[in-house]
Amino acid sequence: MMNRTLFVAALLAAPAFLATPALAQTTAEKLAGLDERITRLEDMNDIERLQRTYGYFVDKSQWTPLSELFTDDATLEIGGKGIFLGKPRVLEYMQKAFGPDGTKPGSLANHMQFQSIPDISADGKTGWVRARAYVMSNGGWGLPLYENEYRKENGVWKISRLTGPFTMYTNWGGWGDWAMNNTWPDKFDPPPDLPPTTVYLTYPAYYIIPFHYPNPVTGKVFKPDMDEVGAYHRPPGTQEQMDSLKVGRWVDGSQPIGEPPRD
Amino acid sequence: MSARKTFKAALLLGLACALTAPAVAQGDSQRQLAAYQHRVQLLEDQLAVENLTATFGYYFDKGLWNQAADLFSAKGAFEYGQRGVYVGPARIRQAMLLFGPQALGRGYLNNHMMLQAVVTVAPDGRTATGRWQGPIMLSEPGQNGQWAVGLYENDYVKEGGVWKIAKLHFYLTAKTDYDLGFAKYALQMEGPSAVLPPDQPPTEVYRAFPHAYLPAFSYDHPVTGQSLKQLPMAGDDIVGRPDRGMDSAPAEESSAAKGMRQQ
Repeated sequence: MMNRTLFVAALLAAPAFLATPALAQTTAEKLAGLDERITRLEDMNDIERLQRTYGYFVDKSQWTPLSELFTDDATLEIGGKGIFLGKPRVLEYMQKAFGPDGTKPGSLANHMQFQSIPDISADGKTGWVRARAYVMSNGGWGLPLYENEYRKENGVWKISRLTGPFTMYTNWGGWGDWAMNNTWPDKFDPPPDLPPTTVYLTYPAYYIIPFHYPNPVTGKVFKPDMDEVGAYHRPPGTQEQMDSLKVGRWVDGSQPIGEPPRD
Repeated sequence: MSARKTFKAALLLGLACALTAPAVAQGDSQRQLAAYQHRVQLLEDQLAVENLTATFGYYFDKGLWNQAADLFSAKGAFEYGQRGVYVGPARIRQAMLLFGPQALGRGYLNNHMMLQAVVTVAPDGRTATGRWQGPIMLSEPGQNGQWAVGLYENDYVKEGGVWKIAKLHFYLTAKTDYDLGFAKYALQMEGPSAVLPPDQPPTEVYRAFPHAYLPAFSYDHPVTGQSLKQLPMAGDDIVGRPDRGMDSAPAEESSAAKGMRQQ
């Protein structure tokens, strides 16, 4: 019975293979696969251009075209300032915090966009970029990182989430002398819609924003030590870092922040 | 025949039917293939232009003026800051000697980093444009170091299958002494040389920081598609250029500038 079934099936199948449409089908499949791969390269290219264009707009205080790089429901979080919800709030944040649109005499605020690592989701609808801004300004030097998300809407890529934690900010005296610890929600106007996702201090403290992609060689995912909300005093895993978790804290790890200043 | 065997046979039969179904017509495959070849060609052209420009940077860093000049097309143009325009590789080679001797020498630092590329290849694949960010570190024998930064808006042309620079236009936007920094000091640009006058005067007259000039973008807004050639920019009273698209309200210090000084 078994043999007979296979025999019949083979009979049915054989002429089909002999007619060689299999070859044509494979070409169509190959073409479809090629389209996907080319589209992926184009998409990675597009989101890199978006991020670089964002930088060129920041350099010259072009807030309106900058906000138009974002989706309507985008979120923006820079430094320790908290989260701004939606495209209109992205524009409001920029214009209130940094002044109206247009270049300003006496102001240099270059946010040079370097070292981007783009990725595209398997369905081609979502993208991510890890990148850095190298800030050269009349105020001094700055080093934000980015772990941003992008969305393809009607064939056009837009920024759907900008997350830009700071590594280090200093004045022209240099980071050997002074570094800003971070920004926070009420440090300057406007206030955010939501509090920061992570509370951390910048250099000389240490914070690693999680990578959107695994180690490209080992495939392992780098997991920040969330026990201390991803903020570090010293590099993770070192004895100094472990010891720092006990300094100025109660045994449960929380900090005695309720005490008023002594002086 | 058991149900399971029937199912197997049906599966095979189905496969056979699928394979005999008419494949994508040969003409469609050819059209698809041509479209994909074009898309891959544009990506390759973009990479070639990026490599060409990065190579220019590596040559220019080290005073390899002959090698750098060879990257230009026969009618190629070189315009640096306010020095004016030099046309053709022979004139460009001479003009570069204004930056130091061939291969420089002891005490020279001439780093011109070519970064943050947004390259746009024309649909016909014959020309391209590129906007680049150019941080600079300089030194000359007997002088203190200098920081500088600017933008490139370059034109490229493909001749005989090889990409060449049709116009390299560097807009130096800020320059300062290494120790003083942009907070305390701003250096202006060199004008046209009296020793080797340029072939044409500067195409755009402007002053560097603390003035705030915005070179027009060679590409349109990646989301809205709008032109980025007339964005808001502070004017220049000496040049006689009025403010463009600026809020008429007097400039005051931004909330972030005040806030960032807090610790």
